[in-house]
Amino acid sequence: MKALGSSGWKGPVKFRMPTAENLVPIRLDIQSEGQRYKDAFTWNPSDPDNEVVVFAKRTVKDLKLPSAFITQIAQSIQSQLSDFRAYEGQDMYTGEKIIPIKLDLRVNHTLIKDQFLWDLNNFESDPEEFARTLCKDLGVEDPEVGPAVAFAIREQLYEIAIQSVASARESRLSKKGRRGSDHGSASKASGLSMDLVKLFSFKSSVVRKRKDLDVYEPVVDLLTSEEVDALEAREERHAR
Amino acid sequence: MAAKAPDSGGSGEILPITPSLSETTSGVTAASQSTQPPSSSSDVDTVYVPSYSRWFSWTDIDDCEVRSLPEFFNSKSSSKNPKFYIYLRNSIIKQYRDDHPRKISFTDVRRTLVSDVVSIRRVFDFLEYWGLINHSSSSSAKPLKWDEKSAGDASSEPPTTVKETAKRICNGCKSICSVACFVCDKYELTLCARCYVRGNYRVGINSTEFKRVELSEESKKVWSEKETLQLMEAVMHYGDDWKKVATHVTGRTEKDCVSQFVKLPFGEQFVKESDSEDSLEAFDKIKGSADLESGGSDKEGSSPNKRMRLTPLADASNPIMAQAAFLSALAGTKVAEAAARAAVTALSDVDYEAEKNATGDPHRQDANANSGGDITNSERAWADAKSLIQKEEQEVEGAIKEIVEVEMKKIRDRIVHFEKLDLEMERSRKQLEDMKNLLFTDQLNIFFHTRKARKSEDRVDC
Repeated sequence: MKALGSSGWKGPVKFRMPTAENLVPIRLDIQSEGQRYKDAFTWNPSDPDNEVVVFAKRTVKDLKLPSAFITQIAQSIQSQLSDFRAYEGQDMYTGEKIIPIKLDLRVNHTLIKDQFLWDLNNFESDPEEFARTLCKDLGVEDPEVGPAVAFAIREQLYEIAIQSVASARESRLSKKGRRGSDHGSASKASGLSMDLVKLFSFKSSVVRKRKDLDVYEPVVDLLTSEEVDALEAREERHAR
Repeated sequence: MAAKAPDSGGSGEILPITPSLSETTSGVTAASQSTQPPSSSSDVDTVYVPSYSRWFSWTDIDDCEVRSLPEFFNSKSSSKNPKFYIYLRNSIIKQYRDDHPRKISFTDVRRTLVSDVVSIRRVFDFLEYWGLINHSSSSSAKPLKWDEKSAGDASSEPPTTVKETAKRICNGCKSICSVACFVCDKYELTLCARCYVRGNYRVGINSTEFKRVELSEESKKVWSEKETLQLMEAVMHYGDDWKKVATHVTGRTEKDCVSQFVKLPFGEQFVKESDSEDSLEAFDKIKGSADLESGGSDKEGSSPNKRMRLTPLADASNPIMAQAAFLSALAGTKVAEAAARAAVTALSDVDYEAEKNATGDPHRQDANANSGGDITNSERAWADAKSLIQKEEQEVEGAIKEIVEVEMKKIRDRIVHFEKLDLEMERSRKQLEDMKNLLFTDQLNIFFHTRKARKSEDRVDC
């Protein structure tokens, strides 16, 4: 029996992406026959599995990759999907979590840096909508930025969701028999989340402190081709 | 979201030159045969949109889109809504037209759209299929099949040819079948048309078991009700795959099917434009069939009439009923509702005037069944309520009459009582008068006596 602990504690929820659409971020990085294929996109896990092969074939055809890529792409997608599905049966504790999400990505010539708070408990949240609005508001011309932003947000949410599942499992194993109120603190202990109570209490105000203003402001930079090349070279070096 | 089917093409930025690629007049079915258009795409600025995609508009969603991509319109998920669909569709088309005439690939599109890739792929495939993107006017490639089989799977099944059999004898009435035959393979029966319609076969055999077999040349030109029904079913199921349609319609070739479909009077109304004519037609059919249905068998009443699942209704032994059901499916829910409502009103009036007995209900039920279950129970309840109201009125009138009578009786009684009292009073008064008179006479007597006495006293004294 779970006793009601602190006001912020909620019962365990079945694992899913804490967004309106339960979409999985899929990252592909395949090297074969001297060609490297890197990609990132979102996938709907409720789509039938034959879609994976169809997608792989389409992509290979469109990008004129060698056909060996088809199976590799399909396999990679499938394994990431099955990882996701493995988590799906389990519980996760979300608690009262408002987490900061950081964006630091470069898409073609556009560089975006941003940080904002995201409510993990809002299961109606929509990273896609957010990404579209962000690009529109910041006047981003490159249409490939939107998906990248949405993907980045989803990836981070996915990470945190996985962590909460792990922590839920841990706490259940180690704290068997203890009262439920400890679960709330366990989720908070991840260190990332902010204490809502403190944030919205009488003493502090909702207005952000000055020193944080810069951190939370979005920055869009348009790079020149040389800068892009330089950055790419640096990334490659780091990767190795 | 409003799902209109606008006839005009897209916005003014594009010049849609629509070569006539298809024979069909309806905008729904895509052409299976794409002929070479006269003009070539030498001008890079003009984008060609095939005539079967004339419905496209930047701001509206057409019915065929709703049907092909239902996931955006069934409100199962909050973000997969029509607005999102429009965003995807318009972005894809814009992107294609920006780079026209270069063909756009799925990967190009999916990299630029914020969405999950499978939804993008579905919209992309849909648009490509309908020629709104990547449409080259010299396309001789076969369009994608409706259910996405690979292009190699285009093996044509030979359409069922007319069976040129010798004279057949009907098992039911033992007469020679001339016009058409109904063959039941399961039980190896052959029935002539009359026996089949009459239901002159063994108990236990369903009318679905029978297949129609054409016999005479004459029947080739004249399309029977059943054939028309089969044709329409097949078209709804298979869309533009006329080979499959021909196999479904027993005894007709592809060409026949196509030409017949074009000739159909409501072929035009396939495009969801419902006139009053259509509803009247439906109304007449419903009325006519309601009269025919004497037994009142409601096998149709129970089955739901979804668009794609026509077979339960279409297999009715009464072809007119089945056609009415099909019509109502074709014409759309609104028209069918209106027609059925009109039918129900008419029928319920007739019923009420005649007599309210059991025959009233099957009529209404048939009318309801004809409407294909689109009319809810509220219609029946409305007719019932009307008769109930009238009954109540009568009751109320009766009650008022009674009340008035009772009041009258009360008044009469009071009058009688009053008269009695009056009488009593009279009597008492009379008594009083008598007593007064008596008193007077007594007084007189006393007076006289006293005078006499005094007089006699005086005499004595002198």
